[in-house]
Amino acid sequence: MSSSDKNPQASDLPTNQKTPTDADTSAESKGTTHFGYKTIEKDDKISMVAGVFHSVAKQYDVMNDLMSFGIHRLWKRFTIDASGVRPGNKVLDLAGGTGDLTAKFSKLVGREGKVVLADINSSMLNVGRDKLRDKGLVQNIDYVQANAEYLPFEENTFDIVTIAFGLRNVTDKDKALRSIYSVLKPGGRLLVLEFSKPEHELLNKAYDFYSFNILPKMGELVAKDGESYKYLAESIRMHPDQETLKSMMDNAGFEQTSFKNLTGGVVALHKGYKF
Amino acid sequence: MQASNNKELTPLNSQVSSSTAFAEGLLLAQVATATLELIINKALALNNNKAISFAALNQKTLTLALAELSFKLSFSVDTGSSPAMVMVRSQVDTSDCTIKTSIKTLKKLKANQSLTQLIKQDELDVNGDIKIAQQFANIAQSLAIDWQSELAKHLGDVPTHKLLQFGNKITKSISATGKQIEADISEYLVHEKRLVVTRSQVSAFNGQTTAIAREVTTISARIDKLFAKLAAK
Repeated sequence: MSSSDKNPQASDLPTNQKTPTDADTSAESKGTTHFGYKTIEKDDKISMVAGVFHSVAKQYDVMNDLMSFGIHRLWKRFTIDASGVRPGNKVLDLAGGTGDLTAKFSKLVGREGKVVLADINSSMLNVGRDKLRDKGLVQNIDYVQANAEYLPFEENTFDIVTIAFGLRNVTDKDKALRSIYSVLKPGGRLLVLEFSKPEHELLNKAYDFYSFNILPKMGELVAKDGESYKYLAESIRMHPDQETLKSMMDNAGFEQTSFKNLTGGVVALHKGYKF
Repeated sequence: MQASNNKELTPLNSQVSSSTAFAEGLLLAQVATATLELIINKALALNNNKAISFAALNQKTLTLALAELSFKLSFSVDTGSSPAMVMVRSQVDTSDCTIKTSIKTLKKLKANQSLTQLIKQDELDVNGDIKIAQQFANIAQSLAIDWQSELAKHLGDVPTHKLLQFGNKITKSISATGKQIEADISEYLVHEKRLVVTRSQVSAFNGQTTAIAREVTTISARIDKLFAKLAAK
C-alpha cells in the first residue's frame, strides 16, 4: 500500500480499526495472505473462502437484503448503468455468485449476446444457476467455475467484465486483474464493485460498529453462521481503499481508470478500460 | 482527484455540478429507474390487450432527457422473457432514439399538440428514429388492464364488487358535488356578484354618511345658537 508510512502496524490497532499496511503486503509477497485479520498461507485461502461461501450460499440473497437494507440492488443497478452494455455484447460476470448482475445483463445483451456467470465456488454457482433458470433466463447464459487469477478464456473475449463484491476474496488480486485484462477485448471495460472506505469519519465509526457488532449477530440468526459474517467485516477492512485499488488497476494495464463512491464510500465502483 | 473521477462515470462525461454528484452518490437515479421499471412491467403483466406486440422494439432503446431531471431515462425492450420486459436505466452509451424535452412539453404532446409544432418551437429535440418513440407511445396508449379481475384475485369476487360499487358511488358523489360547486360559482359570478355591494361602494357610503353626520351636527349647532338668541330677546 502506497500510504503505508502513515499507517500504524495492524497488530497495534483495535480489531475494528485494522488497515492493510506494508507489513501486510510484504507478508503477502512471502507466500502468506489474509483471511480477514488472520495471516494464512496463500494456498489455504481458496479453501477457507470456499468454506465461508459453501456455508452461506443458500441464505446469500436474503442476507444481502438484510445487511444492506436492500441498497445492494441499487449499487448493482448503478454498475449496470455504468457498464454501457449493448445488445450483442459478451459479458463476464466474475464472482457472479447468485447471478443478480447476470440476470440484468442477460436481458440487455439479447439473443445475439452472451453472459458468462463465473464463480470459484460451486455452491454459489449452483444457487445462481437455479435462480436464473427459475426466472426463465436460459438462452444466453453460460456457467463456468473459475478462479479469477487463472481465467479459462481466450484473450480478447469479453466486451465487459464485472466483479461485484468478489475481488476482496481473491488471494492474489494483482494476478486476477492481469487475468481480467487479458480476457477483455480492446475497448472493453472492467467494473469492480466492492466495499471500500467511507469518506466521513462519523460514517466510518457507525459502519464499524454495525459491521463488528450487528452484522455477525444477524449472520448467526439468519444464516446460522456468525463466523462467516465476522470474516466479511474483517475482509472489507483488509481490502485496499479506493486510491490503492485504482493504482492496482493502473498497474495491471487498465487505462482511464476512475472510481465513484456510493453511499458515502461504503461501496465504490472502479472502472477501467483496455485499449 | 475525487471530483475528476466522479465526472468520468457520468452519463455525458461533461461538467457535473456538486449537487448532481451528491445525487449520484445517493443513487437517486437508480431509485427512480427501479421504481419506473417495476411499475411499467407490472402494468405490462396485467395488460389484457393481446394485440400489443413488442417485436419491432426488441433490443431497441428510447432515451428521454427531461429538463427537470439531472439524469436520463432510457427504456430498453427485451422480448426474450415472457411477457416482454422493459428495462429502465439512467445511463446508456447509445440509444436508437433520444428525445430532449420537459415534463411540461410531454403534457402538451399528450394533449395532441403537433409534434412538428413543438420541434419548431424548440420545445422538443429528437435524435434518431422517431418511429421508436411512436411505437413506445402507441403501446402505452393500448394497454388495457382489467382492474376488477385483478383485484378479485386478491380480495374475492363479492368484496371486490362491493368495493368497486362503493368506489363508483364515491366517484359519482364527488363528481356531483364538483358539478354543484361549479354551478354555484357560475350562479354567483353571473347573477349574485352584480348585486353584491363592493368594498369601494361601502367605503363611499361610509364617507357620505360621515359627511352628512358632520353637516347635521353643524346645522344642529346653528339651530341651538338661533334658539339661544331668540330666548335672549
